[in-house]
Amino acid sequence: MQTPPFIPQSAYFHEHVQPGDRRLKKLKAEVDRHNLTEMWDMILTLDYQVASAHELSHETKEEFYGIIELLLKAFVKE
Amino acid sequence: MLTTKRPVFTELGTEAIDKGLADPQLSAFYESMMSSSGLVNENLREHMPYLSLCSDKLEGIGPPPIFYVGRRSSQRSLFGDEWAMQQGQELRTPDPDLEYASAEGYRAALSGRPYYGYARTALHLEGGTIEIAFERLIMTLRPSAHSDRRFCAYFGVIQDLQQQ
Repeated sequence: MQTPPFIPQSAYFHEHVQPGDRRLKKLKAEVDRHNLTEMWDMILTLDYQVASAHELSHETKEEFYGIIELLLKAFVKE
Repeated sequence: MLTTKRPVFTELGTEAIDKGLADPQLSAFYESMMSSSGLVNENLREHMPYLSLCSDKLEGIGPPPIFYVGRRSSQRSLFGDEWAMQQGQELRTPDPDLEYASAEGYRAALSGRPYYGYARTALHLEGGTIEIAFERLIMTLRPSAHSDRRFCAYFGVIQDLQQQ
């Protein structure tokens, strides 16, 4: 019998959590790439009063992602 | 009460704020940002719900695209939550005439001069026409002293609104 591959606990993401985290990672990378990191931090700390997007509830995260998508559209030439 | 349909977009100048003629909350925002030389700091937090924020990207004849609409801002109360959170394209006010008429204030603010003015106009929305009078302050802010980023903050105060 073949031994199953070892998967550390830290690598496990619940299937309903993973898509949101992918979106977070993708948006953060875009924001960093376009020199908008300070704007990301400003909205997080002044409006949502948290230091990291990971601290946001699911619903609030969706709202924050919406603002960040508008931020990218507002600053980045297409 | 509004008595004319002729659109008016006039600059009053920030001297009017200094003289105490502007809305108190708008004045508090102006004074707070002037005292920080337009740099974002903790003091901005209390004003965020009343602000709309847009980029510094002036292209064509309209103002820059919006990316943040405060929960208690005049734009959200006028155009609604659905408009404020729409996705898929740049966020702009839904009335092209208003876009065109309001652009001058953003141009002034982006040239380094805070813009304070009064406007009276008809808004043509899906639900019909609204006659509205409002004062508005537009300032250019920077997220930090060493940042080369800048953005516009819009503080609007509706003084009169009538559904036609």
